Amino acid sequence: MKARLLGAGVWARGLTCYADLVDLIGSDKSLQNADFTTPAPASIPSRERRRAGLMISMAVEVAHQACDHAAVMKAEIPSVFTSAMCDTQITDYMGRKLAGAEKLLSPTRFHNSVHNAASGYWSISAENRASSSYIGASSHSVGAALLDVISLVNDVHEPALLVGYDLATEPPFDDVFAIQETMAFALVFAPLDFRSESDLNVMIELNCLQIRDNPQAQASQAEHTGLKHLAQANPMGSAITLLERVADERLPRCVYISSSAHTMLKIDLALTGA
Amino acid sequence: MRSLTLSVVYVNRMTLTSALGTGLSAMRENLASSTGGLRPSRWPDSDVPCFLGEVDLSSVAELPAARRSRNNRLIELALEQDGFASAVADEVARAGAHRVGVVMGTSTSGIDRAEEAFRHLDADGRFEPQFWQPQVFTPHAPGDYVAERLGLQGPCLTVSAACASSAKVFAVARRWLEQDLVDAVVVGGADNLCLSVIYGFHSLQLVAPEPCRPFSPDRQGISLGEAAGFALLTRKSDGLVRLAGVGESCDAYHMSSAHPDGLGAKLSMQRALDAADLTLAQVDYVNLHGTGTRANDDVEGRVCAAMADDRTLFSATKGWTGHTLGAAGIVESVLTINAIVTGLVPGTMNTQVSEAGFNLLLNNEQHQVRRALTNSFGFGGNNCSVVFEAI
Repeated sequence: MKARLLGAGVWARGLTCYADLVDLIGSDKSLQNADFTTPAPASIPSRERRRAGLMISMAVEVAHQACDHAAVMKAEIPSVFTSAMCDTQITDYMGRKLAGAEKLLSPTRFHNSVHNAASGYWSISAENRASSSYIGASSHSVGAALLDVISLVNDVHEPALLVGYDLATEPPFDDVFAIQETMAFALVFAPLDFRSESDLNVMIELNCLQIRDNPQAQASQAEHTGLKHLAQANPMGSAITLLERVADERLPRCVYISSSAHTMLKIDLALTGA
Repeated sequence: MRSLTLSVVYVNRMTLTSALGTGLSAMRENLASSTGGLRPSRWPDSDVPCFLGEVDLSSVAELPAARRSRNNRLIELALEQDGFASAVADEVARAGAHRVGVVMGTSTSGIDRAEEAFRHLDADGRFEPQFWQPQVFTPHAPGDYVAERLGLQGPCLTVSAACASSAKVFAVARRWLEQDLVDAVVVGGADNLCLSVIYGFHSLQLVAPEPCRPFSPDRQGISLGEAAGFALLTRKSDGLVRLAGVGESCDAYHMSSAHPDGLGAKLSMQRALDAADLTLAQVDYVNLHGTGTRANDDVEGRVCAAMADDRTLFSATKGWTGHTLGAAGIVESVLTINAIVTGLVPGTMNTQVSEAGFNLLLNNEQHQVRRALTNSFGFGGNNCSVVFEAI
């Protein structure tokens, strides 16, 4: 399956857009001591913004970044959202409330507890009525979502948006699923013949391999000092590895990303020029 | 935004376990005798007065510690009905495990285990080790469990888009099959009753104190239920029905209130019909989302009234099963396919008087159904409609 990557958005400690990630390559800066800025996307209508937690704000912010970067129509692009654990802050709230004597929940927090919450806020903020989904595959979520979004691009023959995010887990969730860093990313893909104004234009070819038949296929790791930690500290980290190779042509032109317990994506990259 | 190809995907096998029956035979018997599945709530730790569509899971053996959850027990019970698991095994033998994918839909996933874990926090506020279940605490729990349980090694993911979840599984599976990523896909949905959904919908004042009565003028809200159901999709035309089209949309309006003019609902139905190359007048039966809330039935009713002619039959089946949320898509897909296969069009259980501006069936009727559409609309303004056609 082939497509073009036309836009990217990123949010993490020390990273507030894809350009920050590009700048980091070649520098010896480390993200680990950088501050985490809370995003306040102006794109979410104020009534909705008050109701959105960190995960939703971050997801909506990077979705807008990637669409702006790719110069695509925000109101029309279909989307796939993914996360390994979704909003553990809300799960924590619901779990504590329901374990107590007074079980009345906040209606806003309850409706934000649906796993497609970020997709819902995105659609409102972009006035987008195209298809939008949340798909999860635990620690294989990035690969599964890439497979899903590229199959969507091939099906509708139009650009499609992929958004991924996970929050750092706090006690008691860290014993179940440890996530050290909070991050979000977004990517816009388009069919090969799509004409774009974007300065990013990378042709990708994606193959879904059986791990059993391809023992050499190991999930790729980030190379740059500044990005290594983040790429390993969040289930969305393989998107950082992918973006690092997109941004730095000196790195291998191929990325392996796990897409399920038994499958691995092999993604070949080729710069095609604008 | 529209698929460029007409669907060549078929539903070869299906099964359903809900309050309407464990397996298709029980479901058909209860349909025939007009025995609905809603009973007064006796849910532990809940004081919300309501009716629930509960499934008796007492026959299911305890699962391995890492997989323990009510949702996985539901899945376990459902997979063993109607020879579904063995039909999948046959497909694996033919195509190879790596050529069979899994797309499950859920909203609750394993949240009942998180609820229980919070009731047993230790002195330091941490979960007891019995709840360290990463494969259950993730939204992907149902897809992961089904793949492992059936030994499937193809692509595997879980869709979670509230009450549209297990309708949207058909959209993902159709793409995978048409792009030849796999030869078969096990699609399905599983959602279990738990305090999160009972108190969650109660907080929105949407839970009826009586069995839900979709489209009644004085309806009082939803009745919750639980279910697990599956369908085996392939490109082979020797199955039950053809998956004729799937339509998806967003309201882009509000997280938990439908667009007042039903813009998203209308788009989702129209996109499904366009994908199937049909008009609504060519559809014999529509299984409505029909939750029994004032807002949903009002909005969905106006959209359908504007699109329908007198010929198309409509019904809402949540009075039989309860609103099974993330499983509603597969529950109502199975009931819709069942109408095509058996000719039994289910009535709108519990509803005596309809205010719908279209042909809403209150009681079961026997009809030849060649084409049928089912609607599933969820929080986040997420909508999905699926069209099935007789082979």
